[in-house]
Amino acid sequence: MKTKFFILCFLGAFVWAIPSHSFDFGKILKEVEKSSRPPEKTQPSKAEEPKPTQSPAQSSEQSSGQSGGLIGLGDSLGIFDKKTSKILQQSVNTLKSLQPIAYEEEKAIGGRLAVEVFNRYGGAYDDPELLRYINLVGQAVADVSSRSDIDYHFAILNTEFPNAFATPGGYVFVSIGLLRMIENEAELAGVLAHEVAHIARKHALQTLERSRSLQGVSSLTLTVMDKDPGLFDKLIDEVSNVLFTKGLDKKLEFEADKYGREFAYRTGYYPGALKRFIQKLGASKKNQGSIFSSTHPTSRERYNLLQKSSSRYKKASLYPTLGKRFKVAIKR
Amino acid sequence: MRQLIYSFVFLFAGFGFTSQVAAETWYVKKSATKLQAAAKARSKVLAKLNKGTPVDVLGKSGKFYKVSAGGETGWIFRFKLTKVAPSGSGGDGDVLGALGGQQQIAARESAYGSSIRGLSPVSEEHAIKKGASPASIESVKEMERYKIDDEALDKFLEEGRLGAYAD
Repeated sequence: MKTKFFILCFLGAFVWAIPSHSFDFGKILKEVEKSSRPPEKTQPSKAEEPKPTQSPAQSSEQSSGQSGGLIGLGDSLGIFDKKTSKILQQSVNTLKSLQPIAYEEEKAIGGRLAVEVFNRYGGAYDDPELLRYINLVGQAVADVSSRSDIDYHFAILNTEFPNAFATPGGYVFVSIGLLRMIENEAELAGVLAHEVAHIARKHALQTLERSRSLQGVSSLTLTVMDKDPGLFDKLIDEVSNVLFTKGLDKKLEFEADKYGREFAYRTGYYPGALKRFIQKLGASKKNQGSIFSSTHPTSRERYNLLQKSSSRYKKASLYPTLGKRFKVAIKR
Repeated sequence: MRQLIYSFVFLFAGFGFTSQVAAETWYVKKSATKLQAAAKARSKVLAKLNKGTPVDVLGKSGKFYKVSAGGETGWIFRFKLTKVAPSGSGGDGDVLGALGGQQQIAARESAYGSSIRGLSPVSEEHAIKKGASPASIESVKEMERYKIDDEALDKFLEEGRLGAYAD
């Protein structure tokens, strides 16, 4: 009797457990992965959500630069009024400029802009030991970023103005002036990771892909750029204007802050360091009037947004800041 | 009463049985990723995996995932893995096919990967044409030549108790 009872219990438990309580480890991992990412995405990841591509018909229509094809036909037959035709044509042109820029072209654009960074901001700072240290910290955060499969290059700029830049394709710059304001390795990791995030999330490229310069270009290849030097000129001018004068969209800067903090945290650094440094930068007189302040949202906005989402980093204070190692590297 | 206790024991036995994990395929993000014997940074390296290698995730311990790859089971630092299949790698052909023109871009990106070296001639010619100083051009080339080897980076992480070495 007892035996039968136990068997029934076991079978009952087994049947009950299968549909209602079995769980998929994959799903749990997905949740873990989700929780290890910044919670609010302002832009969809390009790697995960490829943009639509245009048909050859659209492409040939666009290269003519005229309101042809179905829209033009609709216009001539009086199906669309001129205003509607214009709106539709603009939409088609926008879609056509959405073809993602491939890595080789990204590197060509980024490399050219990297030359520009050295040209405009004091050239390279000569300190091989410090350069090695910056590369070690930079490589460490890049290795756990969402785009760790490309090469990243780090350099120090010889200017006392606090500056940091990233150009597409993996080029990251930090000025000696900014390094002198930093107090520990975790802050440095936060700053470098912010720049790595711009590259990993392809922020400058996103801006470029939406630009007017690329309207009428279905696929931006080196051959196209080589054949049309005017186009490369325009692209470089446009990205230069964004990176060195206007600044990226505020949302992209906030996103780089969040991702940057995440990458530094993944590396094992104190995740509050970037926020602290941004606060310090905001209070600094050195920063006032600098290119860094004119191309970034205010420190207060950046600090507040990081503060809002900081509760997700539990036991943050247990993570190291590595102040001593930083001070040795910078010879302070 | 005893019967009730046994019932609970069996109930949890049933629960435990169904919690056997279902493996999910993830991918190695970067070449030379270490597959290790234990969930510890200093444990024996069983193999170094190439970028895009699919691995079946079997479990988790701290910052490591237990994985099975190419018939070998070991542990990988979790941030070296991604759920997204890398473009151009085996097994995602259908997905890429469905994306049409995107496939071409993805395949090109994958083919070049990190193998593109040096300042592009297009960039250099443009910089010269626009009057950029030779020193600035050389600085970019130097920047690109500068390499940190894996061993040095590993030592740096270990000394700082960072990455896989973090407590």
